[in-house]
Amino acid sequence: MKLLYDYSGDFDPSFDHGRLSKEGLVGLLHTYSDYIRRLDGHWYLSVMNRCGNDAAFACDTEVWERLVLYELKIASELLNIRGDDAVAVAKVFQVSPWFWMYKCDLDLKSRDHLIITYRDCPTLLALEREGAGRERQICVDLEMKIFMKMAHFYNPKMKVTALKLPPRKSADDVCCRWEFKIEENK
Amino acid sequence: MKEPLFDYGGDFDSSFDQSQLSKEGLVGLLAAYSNYIRKLDGHWYLSAMDKCGNDVAYDCDIDVWNKLMKFELKVASDMMNICGDGVASVAKYFQVSPWFWTFKPRLKLKGEDRLEVTFDKCPTLLALEKEGLGREAQICQIMEPELFETIAHHFNPKMKVAALTLPPRKNIDDVCCQWEFKIESER
Repeated sequence: MKLLYDYSGDFDPSFDHGRLSKEGLVGLLHTYSDYIRRLDGHWYLSVMNRCGNDAAFACDTEVWERLVLYELKIASELLNIRGDDAVAVAKVFQVSPWFWMYKCDLDLKSRDHLIITYRDCPTLLALEREGAGRERQICVDLEMKIFMKMAHFYNPKMKVTALKLPPRKSADDVCCRWEFKIEENK
Repeated sequence: MKEPLFDYGGDFDSSFDQSQLSKEGLVGLLAAYSNYIRKLDGHWYLSAMDKCGNDVAYDCDIDVWNKLMKFELKVASDMMNICGDGVASVAKYFQVSPWFWTFKPRLKLKGEDRLEVTFDKCPTLLALEKEGLGREAQICQIMEPELFETIAHHFNPKMKVAALTLPPRKNIDDVCCQWEFKIESER
């Protein structure tokens, strides 16, 4: 871990995070993102160990159907990301704490058409290492539900299609690829 | 939520990254993600409780936080250079922790070896009081002392933690809880 702020001196009762440099704050934001991923992962595994994967997956789905709404609220209200097109979705991906943990390419083909490609995904890597095939649920079923919620938050007519999904044949393959599209009314 | 921290209402910027936010914006976003962490934990607990019962959810909570606390302490030590074996390190940890950000505890250093931490506000306790099942007896009286001991012992294995005030509260204006971190001088 990289040193972001040297707080090795005396205790300062008036300390707040504004003391950090911009670079330090961005570094801390990334650490918080990792924190969120770890917290979620530990909860999943802990419930799975005690009650089985079906219960853990049901919890995970329930949790993220709620949390994604909070994430969208942050995007809309704190960062003024609004609109009813694929541009808004592209922006939400950029500001999401999850996005920072993954290597993603956003290809905005037009205002109504976005393709997102995940090149690196620590969750998929962990699932592949585990070898229990859980990526079929997490990456296919859950991810689709979350992405649909995101799309429909901005435009109920936006469609989400998985273009490429795990399981992967090779570790060099992309992790997954999705399309967000608003079809023109015919 | 009030004023936007950053106005990303215009065109899509393929080169966007968080460093485009002002310092104030970044601090605001950190605060929002601190809240995100608390919400995520709370939703997982309630969902596990709903599906597997409170005993399982509570065991999971302990399991999760025993692991997460180590990560959080590592962040404090490695990224903010909070080291040292005095109670001041614990006070600093409370200031920088994303988890405790939303709680804003009052920190009172009483000499070099004694710290008093007072939680005037606690969204977790408020939710537990509203729920009315008495789960604060577990969360605040059993789990929290264990976690605080982990924090104390990370910096100094001889540091003691004592609860000075604990829920249940008699009155909504009472403090939520109050703790003492102390290093007894060797005789």
